[in-house]
Amino acid sequence: MPAIFPRWTNNIPIAIGVLAPLVGAGLVFAVAYWFSPRYTDVGYRPEQPVPYSHKLHAGDMGIDCRYCHNTVERSAHAAIPPTATCMNCHEQVKTESLRLRKVRESYQTGEPIEWVRVHQLPDYAYFNHSAHLAAGVGCASCHGRVDKMVVVEMVQPLSMGWCLDCHRNPEPNLRPLDQVTNMNWDPAAEDYDPKRDPARTRQVNPPLHCSGCHR
Amino acid sequence: MAYARRGLRAPKAAEREQAATMALLLLGLALAGCWGNPSDEPPVHLQQNMDFQERGEAQERNDFFADHRVMRPPVPETVAVGHLKEDDHMWRGRLPNGALADALPAGLELGPALLDRGQKRYDIYCQPCHGEMGYGDGPATRRGGGFAVKPANFHQDKFRPVPLGYFYDVATNGKGSMKGYKSQIPVEDRWAIAAWVRTLQVASNAEPSDVPEQAAAAMADQRPRRIQ
Repeated sequence: MPAIFPRWTNNIPIAIGVLAPLVGAGLVFAVAYWFSPRYTDVGYRPEQPVPYSHKLHAGDMGIDCRYCHNTVERSAHAAIPPTATCMNCHEQVKTESLRLRKVRESYQTGEPIEWVRVHQLPDYAYFNHSAHLAAGVGCASCHGRVDKMVVVEMVQPLSMGWCLDCHRNPEPNLRPLDQVTNMNWDPAAEDYDPKRDPARTRQVNPPLHCSGCHR
Repeated sequence: MAYARRGLRAPKAAEREQAATMALLLLGLALAGCWGNPSDEPPVHLQQNMDFQERGEAQERNDFFADHRVMRPPVPETVAVGHLKEDDHMWRGRLPNGALADALPAGLELGPALLDRGQKRYDIYCQPCHGEMGYGDGPATRRGGGFAVKPANFHQDKFRPVPLGYFYDVATNGKGSMKGYKSQIPVEDRWAIAAWVRTLQVASNAEPSDVPEQAAAAMADQRPRRIQ
């Protein structure tokens, strides 16, 4: 009786034994690497309706973040400024600039400029800017060196694991309360111990339980 | 030839080209698939998990309303409960007789805390135009062709006798080409800023004998702070 399986099929179990772990490892790597918010979100750099440069305004001119994002210390939401804030200066400076055409139109008509949101948390995650500022977390800790960005982009994944990294051990990301918006404040160069800062009336105690952020 | 030594034939030009193209393609794929590559495409979330829900968040667009704003502007000629702003001294900087007040309103106390707050708020909102010391020479005036009308220099003689309420009033409602900051700065902070402007004026006209003895000793110890 002739053999049902030809001789070469003897190699199939060996091939499966060798290939299956490789394919499995490849799949695990692919999901861990390409499904991670470090891949899907970091580097998101949308084109904005007006080519506003944070590098020019916050970096070169040194305007404080809070001049425009003025609600950040008092509310959960760090407001995108109304066109009127732009016009505080731009009714005087660069009044003919073509790049500012949409700003002037918006100011005249009252129709807001539709800026594209860069940093967006999932809707089931509660986040409060004012609480983080009160704790002395710098803008740059989450948003990066915005003062060096001509076009703002995401530099951190803003994922749950990344949030928890800091909630479990906040100290490396804490700074003196009056240096929160200072982009040049370098945690590596400063010897800052939040526990010995007399300006802090209470120590930070970030929530680690689920309902801290999923309320 | 190295190829001949190993018993191989040398690749043809077409084959080399093919190999180079494949290497480039693979390299391109590898680079495009790296963490942190800039992209203007919105992040793709394969597992949506109610990331985006049917609800309005601050400053979002919503087509339910005719003007597409989630945040509803107040109905004209209405006042929200608790926002009547009855206190004329606090909100308008004026005394009952209509004159500008020259003192802080009730509830705000002049002291180191208020002046510290005033300095910090001044440095955020006023310094870009008026300059750190109030000479009207902030960074915004030195760029993009400068200002047609120069920001006020608080050390001019005409600003020395004005009442405190004047600075509050200008910070609130603006003056000339300066716009009001009442929507940008809360009312207590506008008073703190007014107090800080007055402090800058007093300081620019001070004599060494005006410094209290204790503070003078402390100043002698301190080296000038380097501005970053």
